[in-house]
Amino acid sequence: MRVILVDDELANLENLQVLLAKNCRTVKVVAIANNIDDAFEKINLHRPDLLFLDIQMGKTTGFDLLNLLTEKSFEVIFITAYDNYGIQAVKSAALDYLLKPVDPDELMAAVSKAENRIESKMNGEQLNFLLNQLKRTEPAAPKIALPQQHEIRYVSVEAIVRCVADNNYTFFYLSSGEKILISKSLKEYSDLLKPQGFVRAHQSHLVNPKFVKSWLNEDGGILLMNNGDKIPVSKPNREMVKAALRK
Amino acid sequence: MLSTVFAQKGINFSKIYSGGRKLGFCVDSSAKSIYYDNKFPNQPNTSFNYLPEVNNISIQAYFDRKDDVRQYRYTILADNKPIVVNKSINKKQLTDIETPDLMSFTRLGVLAIKGKNITTLIYNINKPLDIYKSVFYAKPIPRVKIVLFSNLVAINQGEGFTNLIAPKERTKLSFSKKDIGLRIIKNKSDIDYLYYVLIKNKLTNKIIFRSTYWEYGSYIDANEFLPYVKIDKSIFKKSGDYEIIIQPFLNEHTPLKEIEKYTARYTLSIILDEEKLFTNRQMIIFGIITPLLLAAIFGTSLFYIKKKQAKKLAQQYKQKEIVQLQLNSIRSQLNPHFLFNALAGIQNLMNKNEIENANRYLTKFARLTRNVLDSKELISLIKEKTLLDDYLQMEHLRFGFNYMLSAPSDLDMENIEIPAMLLQPFVENAVKHAIAEKGKDGEIAISFEKQVSNLVLKIIDNGKGFDTTQTYNGLGLALSKNRISLLNTIYKDAPFVLDIKSGINRTTVTITLTQWL
Repeated sequence: MRVILVDDELANLENLQVLLAKNCRTVKVVAIANNIDDAFEKINLHRPDLLFLDIQMGKTTGFDLLNLLTEKSFEVIFITAYDNYGIQAVKSAALDYLLKPVDPDELMAAVSKAENRIESKMNGEQLNFLLNQLKRTEPAAPKIALPQQHEIRYVSVEAIVRCVADNNYTFFYLSSGEKILISKSLKEYSDLLKPQGFVRAHQSHLVNPKFVKSWLNEDGGILLMNNGDKIPVSKPNREMVKAALRK
Repeated sequence: MLSTVFAQKGINFSKIYSGGRKLGFCVDSSAKSIYYDNKFPNQPNTSFNYLPEVNNISIQAYFDRKDDVRQYRYTILADNKPIVVNKSINKKQLTDIETPDLMSFTRLGVLAIKGKNITTLIYNINKPLDIYKSVFYAKPIPRVKIVLFSNLVAINQGEGFTNLIAPKERTKLSFSKKDIGLRIIKNKSDIDYLYYVLIKNKLTNKIIFRSTYWEYGSYIDANEFLPYVKIDKSIFKKSGDYEIIIQPFLNEHTPLKEIEKYTARYTLSIILDEEKLFTNRQMIIFGIITPLLLAAIFGTSLFYIKKKQAKKLAQQYKQKEIVQLQLNSIRSQLNPHFLFNALAGIQNLMNKNEIENANRYLTKFARLTRNVLDSKELISLIKEKTLLDDYLQMEHLRFGFNYMLSAPSDLDMENIEIPAMLLQPFVENAVKHAIAEKGKDGEIAISFEKQVSNLVLKIIDNGKGFDTTQTYNGLGLALSKNRISLLNTIYKDAPFVLDIKSGINRTTVTITLTQWL
């Protein structure tokens, strides 16, 4: 697997090279770049399979680089020092990322995932989705990517009625009546969707308040959904849920 | 003609009743109820005799010696129609009576009276206005009807009436300031003077007014003036119900039952203007102003209540914000303790040239640091467990103690969230104060337990223990207690309970998150 590393700090580039060499034998670093112009040229020249891309590089971002590229026939593993708005977008596009300092175990897992995806050739679409999401000026009705086994579904947040946890899996109930099973924990989507107004009513339930019909006082608190579904509200969450519904 | 009917008719001539002034009368012996010689203050020359059971009557005129009989004239009316007019007394027919006054009498006539009203008028031609009138009433006395009530008002020179009201079972009558009283107007009869008006206060049952003073005028019915009685409003001291009683005045021996037969009773509901707080105009004005005022008051209070509520909400919100800030500050205060210890641990690995381990611990350190910096309030149990594992691994590096993290398989570690860094300070305490000096013999057991709907977090160490009642300088415990009480202000429905038990070689810290699951 041919790889290009993009980071504005040379120390990080060196470190990543060492870690890859030690832990990931299938990876061959074909180029490194410490700014986006350099990276742009090297990507066009080498046509890599995988890009390790630092999100924050001085005044520019890794997303700027992606916007320059018309053809994106490579996988990307984003790298960031700290959770910022960029990483939220990366998460909602269901793309992969690593945090600095890079954990060797996480690095290996990310690389092997990327290898699998290169085979299924789904990458360009996801990257374009990410860039579109980032271009959005108003925050209303964004979409999130729901990766299924053979496809990635891009679903408008407004169309998600609720999510139900099933251990490490999450069921998505869409307004169309469709039910999708995604192999990520509810906690992850809870973090992504709470800023969009979703309410964690229960440890196993994340609810879009737009589809809540009423609050029922039975069993200490139940949300009655428009379609008649009843969602339990756990005791610690009651005040928070009520407050969220009042908005 | 008159003399021929004498002797017959069953008249008892031995019993003579006074029929008023010059007259006396005798009636059939069978008649029992004889109400005779009733006098009326307003009719000084009238005598009224009520003879309901009498069929025939003999009327006599009596004269004493001083009277010049020739100067007297008499008229007899039957039902107001004259049957004898201005007839002089026949002196030859006078019969002397053996009395000290030497009186004499003559029969004016014997008449069938049943069902009739016989009126006798007798006067001296020298005093033609002094007519003595005797009424012999042998038909039922009519029960009076009140035709109208009216308010009496003072006008320029005299009085006028307003507000004519036909009587009902209960007639409402209100007095305004202009009113001086009321009039009770009754139907006309030929014996109006017989009736008197009583007014009884229904509340106290006292008679407050009594009058026989019928006046005529103002009201005309069938070409006749109707009689009325004037009543000053001053007799009505209070608003309320008054009974108007109009009954005939018969002599005092008349049984009440008999009188009641001819009595008319009406209830008058008096409303006095003095008691009326407001005039009609004022009422209208108040009628408009009061609702407006009430609406204004209501509106204002609503406004203030809302404002107060908003303020309260804002305060609550602010309070929550303050709590959140306090919580954050406590969390950040916890950091340095283990952050620098962790750095020291990594430094140690580097110095020992353990690159692999240094790498591993560095990423653990990064994870811990990230969690501290993270503003997320809630963290999943699995993440909390990982962080504790990271932390304990790093401390294990330094002290070499044993530790164990356990959670039951049916506890949903992925999806159950708890406040971040809840256990960290207690674990840190256990390491620093209890286990560090024990080295490889030190043991820490951390468990996540499920007790019905409670989530129970336990940290057990085998350190030397400490006095739980005492406060220690170490920030950790005090801050954690503070944090838990702050959390309890946020999670009112699901309080956090902290319990610390410490003995020799065993300290147990239990945090129970009630109703959490």
